[in-house]
Amino acid sequence: MAQYTLQPDINFVRELQDAGGDNLKRCYQCATCAVACPLSPANAPYPRKEMVWASWGLKDKLMKDVDIWLCHNCGNCSDLCPRGARPADAMAAARNMVYKDLTEPSIIGKWMSGIAGLPYLFLIPAALWLVVWSLRAAAKGSYFPRAADGRIVFGEIFYGDYTIDPIFIITFFGACFILYRGVRKLWEMFKPEGNMLVIGQKKSWIRHLAGVLMDEIVTHRKFDDCEDGPTTGKAAGSRKLGHMLLVYSFVILAFVTAVVALGHWGGKIVPAIEVHTPMSLTFPVKILANIGALLMLCGLAALTARRLTQDRLNHVSNFQDWYLLGIIWLVACTGILSQCFRLADALKPAFVAYYFHLVFVWMLFAYLPWSKLGHFVYRTAALVYVRMYGRS
Amino acid sequence: MSNAILVVGGGFAGLTAAIEAAELGRDVYIVEKTPWLGGRVAQLNKYFPKLCPPSCGLEIQFQRIRKNPRIKFFTQAELIGLVGSKGDYTAKIRLTPRRTAPHNVDFSLLASALTGEADNEFDFGLSKRKALYKAMPFAFPGRYVLDAKTLSKSDMARVAGAKFIDPTQESRDIDLNVGALVVATGWRPYDMTRLTNLGAGRVRNCISNMQLERLASPFGPTGGKIVRPSDNCPPMNVAFVQCAGSRDQNHLNYCSYICCMATFKQCLYLLEQNPNVRITIYYIDLRAPGRYVNVLEKVKAQPNVSFVKGKAAEVAQAEDDRVWLTAEDAVRGEKLKLVYDLVVLATGMQPSLAGVKDFLPLPLDEDGFIAGGEEAGIYAAGCARMPLDVTRAARSGTAAALKAVQTVEGR
Repeated sequence: MAQYTLQPDINFVRELQDAGGDNLKRCYQCATCAVACPLSPANAPYPRKEMVWASWGLKDKLMKDVDIWLCHNCGNCSDLCPRGARPADAMAAARNMVYKDLTEPSIIGKWMSGIAGLPYLFLIPAALWLVVWSLRAAAKGSYFPRAADGRIVFGEIFYGDYTIDPIFIITFFGACFILYRGVRKLWEMFKPEGNMLVIGQKKSWIRHLAGVLMDEIVTHRKFDDCEDGPTTGKAAGSRKLGHMLLVYSFVILAFVTAVVALGHWGGKIVPAIEVHTPMSLTFPVKILANIGALLMLCGLAALTARRLTQDRLNHVSNFQDWYLLGIIWLVACTGILSQCFRLADALKPAFVAYYFHLVFVWMLFAYLPWSKLGHFVYRTAALVYVRMYGRS
Repeated sequence: MSNAILVVGGGFAGLTAAIEAAELGRDVYIVEKTPWLGGRVAQLNKYFPKLCPPSCGLEIQFQRIRKNPRIKFFTQAELIGLVGSKGDYTAKIRLTPRRTAPHNVDFSLLASALTGEADNEFDFGLSKRKALYKAMPFAFPGRYVLDAKTLSKSDMARVAGAKFIDPTQESRDIDLNVGALVVATGWRPYDMTRLTNLGAGRVRNCISNMQLERLASPFGPTGGKIVRPSDNCPPMNVAFVQCAGSRDQNHLNYCSYICCMATFKQCLYLLEQNPNVRITIYYIDLRAPGRYVNVLEKVKAQPNVSFVKGKAAEVAQAEDDRVWLTAEDAVRGEKLKLVYDLVVLATGMQPSLAGVKDFLPLPLDEDGFIAGGEEAGIYAAGCARMPLDVTRAARSGTAAALKAVQTVEGR
């Protein structure tokens, strides 16, 4: 009989337990979870095999596993788990480990893995935007200047052309580059040993990506499929609506940002499309932005309420879960407050709120590759990968 | 002060305790909730260790009771109050009326003429019974019971004129003065309707292991032929789901000790009736204590019995009243969704006292098993204390009897 010697990585097990999989050692491999999961395929289903890898500290296998990304965390497996091992949370913990270790600089991953790192994460942008504020204040002669016509214009301090835009452009493309490297690395890791034979015509990854976007992300179909599992007899708040609202609000706000950026920079070349900020409340782009903000609040409220009312025995939210919800709450609230204070002509509160808004927006995007928000790239990449390799 | 012993529960453990104490010269009362003695063993087709029919072992116990004037038993009786202390208890017993004469009248002709019917709880709902009924031929006491609620209008007229029947009998309470108690309240099969992912008892031809015992019993609903309840056809393809609600924190958080053996025994029933039947046992771990491993080996050697390591976690209705079963074969890492003629859920033992308001000053553990009480002169026996097979339940009855005897001895 073939012998296989395990190389357990005890530290990895501890890290996983800290990252949200604290009960994973309770698993006794009954395989209920693999049946409980309606998404799990017939061949090598998850999450039972991941539970044994996690228990045994087989870091390699778990980190290279594409299946942890196929899981959409509906929690059926945890509801039906006879030992309270919480496989859904263990899968989330495994994803947290990928966020932590996948990309450089790894110190951010470390900070992002627990509450102890939060002060550093906050202080970096807080200091950055404070420097910008001080420099501009020195130039303007006041920390809270008004525009020439007496209005509150954030651009007086946080001037677009050479403060906000360059910083965010660098942040954005930096994050994109890191994510690109992360995805390349993930795909390399996912690759099974040996060669793969594809019969028929091979579709390019772009067409698969389009498939994932249209078939899964736009429709949120997997969230419905999640509901098709065996009857657990336990109440489960649906996540589809909350998640969908949030995703669409991000799309709307990204679109608004793109329009404003185009209007600003493009306007320098073609004056006809120039957009001036602050926009009037009745300007269509502004209306769309405010709709986006409202959708975001609704989505956040639904998702937060769900986490707060979850059965604590079988579902525990980890730091990454709360960090992501928290940072989006802060972005949304400071953004809305900035606008409200500005319209109410409250000069100092408006600038303070806007400052914090910039801090939190920067945190949201700069730390994206190491935070749970990274799932929108990594999971999409994994879903594209499984389409290319015929596992779904 | 009293030197008498009260045994609560007339199943195998309680009977053993009562008989042993009586044969040591103590006065014993047995209080049994159902109309007949014998408990769960009476419902089985065969039982371990020798795979005898229940009449075999129980008949000996009943003889010993008949011959021993020190034993008095009350059926359809429940303990509804207990006051006093060790050595001097007053137990209040409520006697539900039997409504038939105290001698063994054969009412079979009258019973068959009645029209009112109710679910037969002795067959776990697999059959109907009349208002006048006796659950098994070897029932002890051999008396019929009249269930007035099930009488139809025409039945009432028939019964009104019958000799040896008194439909107007009322329930009454009696007090018993005893020095010690043996509590052998036994177990009930875990409620299938709580197993939501396993069909919650609503999937046709998905039955419990105790229901299969009734199907296999010569005195059961089918006269001993193991058939599908929906169409009375013998199943060709049967699956057993081990740990159905056992070792599960959402249901019974412990191993019931006997369900694996019950399944092996039932495999042998099936193969005896139809050597071509194909059987699959879905399990997490198999438990064959001590010498019982021989039975496991015997079943494993059967070419038509296969074992799949992986708990069946979903059961659903398929076409033609067949049953879908989904499990992951954890050894091969494949999810299987297969269709069976009959699926048997090997449900576990839940102590009868779990979640029930009772009048015993006994500490129960979180699962409802008795965990103490000996300082008060109350001794637990049988499955009220832990899951046991019949042999060990009998032994625990003897042990409890000895302790009870010593409590009332020498005063």
